[in-house]
Amino acid sequence: MPFKRAPQAFSSSIKKVTIGTGDKAVTLGGANVMPLYTFDAPIENKPAIGIEVSDRGINGSLPKMAEYYAGAETLVDQAKRAAEIPGVDFLTITLDSADPNGDNRSVEDCVAECKEVCDAVDIPVAIQGCKNIEKDEQLFNKLAEALQGKNVLLLSAREENYKSIAAAAGLAYGQKMGAESAVDINLAKQLNVLVTQLGVQPESMVMNLGSAAAGYGFEYVASTMDRVKSAALAQNDSMLQMPVVTPVSDDAWGVKESIVSEDDFPEWGPMEERGIQMEISTAAACLACGSDAVILRHPDSVATISALIAGLM
Amino acid sequence: MGKFVVIGERIHCISPTIRKAMDEKDPEPILQRAKEELDAGATYLDVNIGPAESNGEDLMKWAVQLLQENFDNVPLSLDTANKKAIEAGISVYNRSKGKPIVNSADAGDRIENVDLAAANDAIVIALCSKAGVPSDNDERMMYCQELLERGMERGMDPEDMWFDPLFLVVKGMQDKQLDILDFIGQLRDMGFNSTGGLSNCSNGMPKEIRPIMDSAMVAMAMQMGLTSAIVNPNDKRLMETIKSCDVIKNETLYADSYLQI
Repeated sequence: MPFKRAPQAFSSSIKKVTIGTGDKAVTLGGANVMPLYTFDAPIENKPAIGIEVSDRGINGSLPKMAEYYAGAETLVDQAKRAAEIPGVDFLTITLDSADPNGDNRSVEDCVAECKEVCDAVDIPVAIQGCKNIEKDEQLFNKLAEALQGKNVLLLSAREENYKSIAAAAGLAYGQKMGAESAVDINLAKQLNVLVTQLGVQPESMVMNLGSAAAGYGFEYVASTMDRVKSAALAQNDSMLQMPVVTPVSDDAWGVKESIVSEDDFPEWGPMEERGIQMEISTAAACLACGSDAVILRHPDSVATISALIAGLM
Repeated sequence: MGKFVVIGERIHCISPTIRKAMDEKDPEPILQRAKEELDAGATYLDVNIGPAESNGEDLMKWAVQLLQENFDNVPLSLDTANKKAIEAGISVYNRSKGKPIVNSADAGDRIENVDLAAANDAIVIALCSKAGVPSDNDERMMYCQELLERGMERGMDPEDMWFDPLFLVVKGMQDKQLDILDFIGQLRDMGFNSTGGLSNCSNGMPKEIRPIMDSAMVAMAMQMGLTSAIVNPNDKRLMETIKSCDVIKNETLYADSYLQI
């Protein structure tokens, strides 16, 4: 019997979520096939790449990073530089210094600086908090208001603080919000249900399903994303059809391979190259599993991942 | 086999409200019911316009367009003895959310509805009966095979033939109930989809009992592999049971609020 190819295109699709405004706005999602399966049906929006800059500044001890950002001393300058990297679709500001257990920078200062950055770049902006539940809630509330009209993505609301973030970002000020669930598949769905029950449109939400650096329990991330995508497409589960945005950089640059010095492990080679490799392999794995956007830190990672996406689309 | 497909049965000309709305082409009562059914979790809506001998084509077109335009191309089951009306409905039907269902064919007088579904790339509900109630599962299986053959000869994908085992009323035919469940299991083992008017099992029972009986039946039938049923989605207990069974069967991902979605 002749082989009959049956393309696996689904009648349901990932919802489209647009961040930013104008010509440079980026739309995430829209696919009706499994991740990267362009042979089953065209994928309208290629996976997007965000570049991360921290309000603590770049890690100048990495020679390539230092070289790339040379002369860019302020967050605004670094953001402008990052936004010019070929392959970058959106900028991500991480408000590390807001952490009450660290620098405890005030909400007002953070908001003012984010506003400055948003005014200085023309690509869409996502903003990550400091991972402190209460502080992030305050930050996102004020950011949603202050950045009205910019259509920014706030990453992310969690089970403990989703209500007020949804009210501000998703309802009052028309921003986009992420719902974060730390590799807990039932919670991922539940959070989406709860946020949409408050009246936020699914088109205003993305999911941050959580991640792990490649080799550090990534199997669990992979099976979670797999289950989410198959629920979204094969089971037409509208509560899991939000695009997946995965911040990769924090995990990738936090593991041993990326932080032990070459002096301690000469056989491992230069530290910066290892970090880049961790970031690239994690991001590639996330894309294969279903991330509609990844957030990266290193310009070299952006170059490789954008080439990978271009090659597959 | 996928999440259980609930075909909402409430847009039915036997209801005086709907009858009147269809006669007068008054959208509101129909849209109201459709919304209630969809909010409660129906996937397909059955549109029963009755025999509709005189104005069936117009009426079905009107109903199909009305429902699909108002509810994001909701997939529909077209339910009438008037074949031309079904064809007319399909001619204006938008397939983006699912193929139309032809409701229904049997192995007797209505076998031509299989041809109709095949010619229009539709799903057909295929009643495993000829004239009256089949006496046992051998007879059911014989009709199932006849219908299957008819469909396949005309190029139908067996997936698009949803076999109806004929749910029988418990009051009076209590001894037949396990046969029906067993037959659903046979259909599952052959990889077929199945559906049927499940609430027939509780016919004649007090109205406070019916949701309980229907829920028990749907749970047992889903365990045997029933893939769909034509039911009242606004029966809360029944829908809670279906949703819970879907979770247990891993057909939908659990979330604490699963009953509300």
